[in-house]
Amino acid sequence: MTDERTGAQVMCEALMREDVEVMFGIPGGAIMPFYHAMWEYRDRLRHVLCRHEQGAGHAAEGYARSTGKPGVCVATSGPGATNLVTPIANAWMDSTPLVAITGQVSSAVLGKDAFQETDITGITLPITKHNYRVSRAEDLPSVFREAFHIARTGRPGPVLIDVTKDAQQARLVPDWNVTLNVPGFSAPVGLDPRAIREAARILAGASKPLILAGQGVIISDAVAELRTLAERTGIPVVTTLHGIGAFPEDHPLSIGMPGMHGWVHVNRAIQDCDVLLCIGARFDDRVTGKASTFAPRASVIHIDIDPSEIGKNVKVAVAIIGDARAALRALIELIPPRDAAIWLRNIRETQATHQHRQPYLRRPDTTELMPHDVYAALNAALNKRGGYRVITDVGQHQMWAAQLIEWRRPRTHITSGGAGTMGFAVPAAMGAAIAHPDETIWAIVGDGGFQMTNQELATIGQEGIKNVKVAIVNNGYLGMVRQWQQLFEGRRYSGTPLTGPSFAGLAEAYGLRGFTVDRIEDAEEAIRAAWDHDGSVVLDFRVEREANVFPLVPPGLSIGEMITREAPA
Amino acid sequence: MRHTLIALVEDRPGALNRVLGLLRGRGLGLHSIAVGDSETPGVKRATVLVDTESVEQTIKQLNRLIEVLEVTDVTNAEYVVRETALVKIHAPEPRRDEIKTVADVFGARIVGSSPQTVVVEMTDTPDRLGEMIARVMAIGACETMRSGSLAMALGGPTPRVNAVSEDATRVWWSQADGIS
Repeated sequence: MTDERTGAQVMCEALMREDVEVMFGIPGGAIMPFYHAMWEYRDRLRHVLCRHEQGAGHAAEGYARSTGKPGVCVATSGPGATNLVTPIANAWMDSTPLVAITGQVSSAVLGKDAFQETDITGITLPITKHNYRVSRAEDLPSVFREAFHIARTGRPGPVLIDVTKDAQQARLVPDWNVTLNVPGFSAPVGLDPRAIREAARILAGASKPLILAGQGVIISDAVAELRTLAERTGIPVVTTLHGIGAFPEDHPLSIGMPGMHGWVHVNRAIQDCDVLLCIGARFDDRVTGKASTFAPRASVIHIDIDPSEIGKNVKVAVAIIGDARAALRALIELIPPRDAAIWLRNIRETQATHQHRQPYLRRPDTTELMPHDVYAALNAALNKRGGYRVITDVGQHQMWAAQLIEWRRPRTHITSGGAGTMGFAVPAAMGAAIAHPDETIWAIVGDGGFQMTNQELATIGQEGIKNVKVAIVNNGYLGMVRQWQQLFEGRRYSGTPLTGPSFAGLAEAYGLRGFTVDRIEDAEEAIRAAWDHDGSVVLDFRVEREANVFPLVPPGLSIGEMITREAPA
Repeated sequence: MRHTLIALVEDRPGALNRVLGLLRGRGLGLHSIAVGDSETPGVKRATVLVDTESVEQTIKQLNRLIEVLEVTDVTNAEYVVRETALVKIHAPEPRRDEIKTVADVFGARIVGSSPQTVVVEMTDTPDRLGEMIARVMAIGACETMRSGSLAMALGGPTPRVNAVSEDATRVWWSQADGIS
């Protein structure tokens, strides 16, 4: 090889320089030069051909969320690019480092409504941290450098690079000695020592302190620091949906998940606490309920790397802007050891009177397979075996998974939170499975979400991916919507009953194994068989159709106002 | 509440689009925006009049945009504001003196004319422009073109010479090896 390259070769080498090992995508006219070049690098740069660009995007997210490294997805112009919009929006809402590469029509026809032309940089403007359209091959090294830097630095997020076909084809001698010049993008450097001192002072004087830990703890690799702080101070720890795994749930100071489907004792603790230390969470409305009534007695200390999250939804007494790990280390230095044993005992008493975990699901009038039975069996298997990650989709099954599995390690629970994208789980599990071939990757998904992206089972088959185990919690409804219709709309099940093919048969048709499970006594054995099978598996759990997720904060109410069980019929 | 923001924005394709898109996406009312070159090559300075309930949030959101270098709210600072208007008045010859009189009162200038029209230019505060326009509208049908407010704080820091980032000198990838 001489020093001269095509733009497409430069793109491949830029990816390799960013330590990219795999990308997920689908070729097409405007991205063909990139695919042509990719062939030369195929032993170091793996391309996974997906069946739909949405699947490619979610797969890249699954890769990113399970590793912490940016995920990469590729699509052609026009419909290929627009099919990436949903995963890009999902990555935006969930702070996932993602680099999306799209082909664009040649500069010569740009703006002329050329075949498969779409203004994808315009379309993705509000859902990317930044995006680029590259029409000069010379710009590729610096653009790729910037894109990866922006995607993974500070609060991570998606970046899109749209490259015209002529820029991919152009020949150049690339200049890799690029300076990173993004003056408008500055991650906070250093912490405000006054804020740290003030936070330490408030925490030391608290009688009912509480920690609310979010995904920021996981992203900044501050799990050990969080544990040290909690143990040093005895402060109970609440973990948000994305914060699951930031603090082990079998730890005596872990009290569980807050919010719309959080536990009664957790929401009560938030409403009662006098100091709330929030670390890397953004007070989503699913956590706060009616924000004006959230934690009414608390002085809120908010640690976040994104200044725009401070004071957005909840009034903050002390803001610590910066990396969660650095902030926690600084706090640990200043906070004297203490305990909060009486406060914790109060919380545990509330917990005991509200039948924590299982009984919410067990309807006494049925012997059918309940979702609860599936999760009990899954929980036992996961925590006995280890070496797993779980990807959940969106809906009832997602909340049950968050509630009923005892989570212990970071990056083992991955879900679509902010955007709530049904169809996330199967492709994201595929991405995580490729990143972690030695682990067992469970996708827990409803029958609705499964049918949105199950075409990626074909990709799993083609790639010979053996470690994806899909557990469909199949109730024949878009269950979360049905539950709301039942509870708030007089049981008018409009647009929610749902049929499907035999999912086990579908799995077999894709060359995977599939099993249908409809009896309580078979659940455990099915999970064991799926785990031990040397290949990817789909388990179709036919569960009781109208089981509900409890507790539940009705929309728009304070998190203190929870429905904890089925109203008597 | 209406706020007057001054923003420094990198002069890159789509940068202004991002600023406008953010305001629209967050449901904020844009009253006016005026943009032009700043003293630093490659950097534009804009005056943005925006209706927002939380200006602090708006500024932080704008700061998240990569091309936005700096945003200042001058609403409660000491600042001057000026706007330019061009007003085309459809007026027959006999009424031209009237226009001239109004223009003189307001310190406006007649900058062009045709047999049917006169074009008046005036630079002043937005309120004064409004008064002048109301007066000439009584004379004849008007077409107005306003620049949007330009604001400038009286105090403030000495301008930076250029917009080079702290890590601009860092060489990238020079250690990357194994790629021939």
